[in-house]
Amino acid sequence: MKTKSWITSTVLLLLVAIVVAGCGSSKGTSTDSATNSKTLTIGNATDIESFDPHNNNNTSSEAVLVNMFDYLVKNDNEQKKVPVLATSWEQVNDTTWRFKLREGVTFHNGDPFTAADVKYTIDRVAKDSALKQNSYFKSIQQVKVIDDYTVDMITDGPDPLLLNRLSKMGAGILPSKYIKDKGIDAFLKNPVGTGPYKFSKWIKDDRVELVKNDKYFGDAPKWDTVVFRSIPEASTRVSELLAGGIDIASGIPSTDVERIQSEEGKQIVKAPIQRVLQLILRETEGTVTADPKVREAIDLAIDKQGIVDSIAGGAGIVTRTSVTPGNFGADPSLYKQTLYDPAKAKQLLQESGHTGAELNMTVSSQYKEYAEVVAAMLNEAGFKANLEVLEPSAFSERYSSKSFKEIFMIGIGNSLFDASNNYNRYLKTEAAGETDFNNPKVEKLLQDALVNMDPASREKQYQEVQQILAEERPAVYFFQMEGIYGADGRVKFTPRSDEMFYADDITPVNG
Amino acid sequence: MKSYIVKSLLQIIPVLLLVSLIVFILVRVTGDPVALMLPETATAEDRAVLTEALGLDQPLYKQYITFLGSAIQGDFGTSFRYGESALPLVLERLPASFELAVAAMIFAIVMAIPLGILSAVKRNTFTDLLISGISVIGKAMPNFWMGIMLILLFSVILGALPVSGRGGIEHLLLPAFTLGIGIGAQMTRLVRSSMLEILNQDYIVTAKSKGLRPFIIIMKHAFRNGLIPVVTIVGLQFTSLIGGTLITETVFAWPGLGQLLVTAVNTHDMAIVQAAVFVIALIVIIGNLLTDITYRLLDPRITYR
Repeated sequence: MKTKSWITSTVLLLLVAIVVAGCGSSKGTSTDSATNSKTLTIGNATDIESFDPHNNNNTSSEAVLVNMFDYLVKNDNEQKKVPVLATSWEQVNDTTWRFKLREGVTFHNGDPFTAADVKYTIDRVAKDSALKQNSYFKSIQQVKVIDDYTVDMITDGPDPLLLNRLSKMGAGILPSKYIKDKGIDAFLKNPVGTGPYKFSKWIKDDRVELVKNDKYFGDAPKWDTVVFRSIPEASTRVSELLAGGIDIASGIPSTDVERIQSEEGKQIVKAPIQRVLQLILRETEGTVTADPKVREAIDLAIDKQGIVDSIAGGAGIVTRTSVTPGNFGADPSLYKQTLYDPAKAKQLLQESGHTGAELNMTVSSQYKEYAEVVAAMLNEAGFKANLEVLEPSAFSERYSSKSFKEIFMIGIGNSLFDASNNYNRYLKTEAAGETDFNNPKVEKLLQDALVNMDPASREKQYQEVQQILAEERPAVYFFQMEGIYGADGRVKFTPRSDEMFYADDITPVNG
Repeated sequence: MKSYIVKSLLQIIPVLLLVSLIVFILVRVTGDPVALMLPETATAEDRAVLTEALGLDQPLYKQYITFLGSAIQGDFGTSFRYGESALPLVLERLPASFELAVAAMIFAIVMAIPLGILSAVKRNTFTDLLISGISVIGKAMPNFWMGIMLILLFSVILGALPVSGRGGIEHLLLPAFTLGIGIGAQMTRLVRSSMLEILNQDYIVTAKSKGLRPFIIIMKHAFRNGLIPVVTIVGLQFTSLIGGTLITETVFAWPGLGQLLVTAVNTHDMAIVQAAVFVIALIVIIGNLLTDITYRLLDPRITYR
């Protein structure tokens, strides 16, 4: 009996000691990684999905992987194509492109980079339909090795987007010999690429650590270590930034902007991203939105600038087109423009004879606040808007089954930086059952542009489409969203419109 | 005792079957993973190809039979998000969640036992009232808010502790406190009432009249018997802690099972959801069984049939 109570008290004492010791030893270690000027730490909302660039479909994964895997061609910040693993390229005929490859490049494991790696990589992503990037690459029919440093890519028809395809995640070049010898699973545990940073470790939902590649063929990497931490809760990310635990925090809520700006040594940086918030309207026979006057009334009833200023915290650029500058086919005359005339909206609605018409609007919960304001504005104009807010996965399912009613609200991105990405939904076959948009002139322009290998006339085609759509309004565009980042004064950081984090574009302020 | 354990172990099978059926149906009626995996611009043809590749075009009962057959062999399918087998992904998160749960429990015990005893001994005094007040607040405070406030105070303003992530013991303190305070508060109440009951019993009165020192009476005679209900709640709460760390793990970016499950639900990663719920169910069942056994060892009056 006596010994037992002694054990109890000893255990208790020990526990207290552990807790107290923990409190004492905490200083110093917590911010070590951030205070070291040769380590860059970035806090993201989500973790990467895997180190397989072909089986990955989210921007935040690509933002990390671009530091490890090079493309043949990459986008500079104005979406101009610049050479990386390819030094030059030319169009042989309508369906064949020839690429000259960089010599003397090695993968992180020492394997030399050759045409065989390009063939292996592109064949894999173009042929395996289970890979998430496959839909972007399946137009590539064959990769022909001409010699060790020359390849031909042959598409199944004229494909003006080939370079766009080759400058996105699914075209990250993989080491063919390594994967053939060891298998894809071994590769994914210990991935190697040709990029400026090498894999060090990945603790899922916690951090990805990369270290510099001393043998990189380009400029010497600026950081010894680059850490991507995943911190799902936005307020925690903000706190990490304020406490100095991370150098850059992505996805800052507009409500936290002032708090960060008022802190010494911390700053807010913004950049427009490839995403436009919009309403998509059904033109199916028998719906009120089939009436052009109703669609115009909807457009005029919504104060887009007001929404940007209030709900988006100023982080947005109003637009009447979804093809924003930096994307091929953009029409600047519709950018930074917005229509708002509530009186005329009311009048148009009256003329149409649909005053009091019910509008069912569906939205994913992430855009709930926007949708609530829009619904209120529509009601103000004389509609009777019914708002339906769905969980993101439920929204996605309704989206793919095309079963929304008159209106749905969505933010649509453009990972290919080309107008076709925005407008293929208005092709007759794609629009069937969704918007039921059907305009023979638009159809012809879009079909022609899909296979038009002449950039100048192709751009005109898309600009013409934009002007027609701005009149016809199968969609009402609100604004181009902006990414809001918090950054520490230790680093110089200009966010990119494609939301990539090229570590070497971010520079330490001191040394 | 032995037959009780065998019987309990056998009962695990139908419970797990039921859990698997419920989870299987729930994850399939709540959304379409194909829509989440493909880009917004994917065509209907792309969707059909992927649906077939994932086996989602099969009738539901066939999918369930396939699922169950593999699950028995520990194969819960491949995570859409990670492209890896689901069960190892879940199991590799267990240590992190376990670490957090143990720390939270230690915190709760360290808080509850002295406060509970003190509260009972000083019944109806100001001290008792104060401790009760703290317990009520501790129990009522939402984990989410608590976590954010702690981060603000200890990390941002004082700079004493790291904000988030998993690392040394200093990373553990804030999340463990956040998670442990509610249970600690509940346990304090339990220790108090259980001590009160015992302090009124004849043998304590006898000990008092023999002139023993109050501290000896409380620690040696009362506390040991007052411990039994506490053991129960430690056991029950601990098992629920493992699965219930969702909010705390998300606030503190703690790479455990809770965070994995939250992300899996958001991204509709069916295999992970199934495997995680299955593992959590198993832990709860085994935890309850162990609690029962400990209970019996501490109090031989309790019999099992």
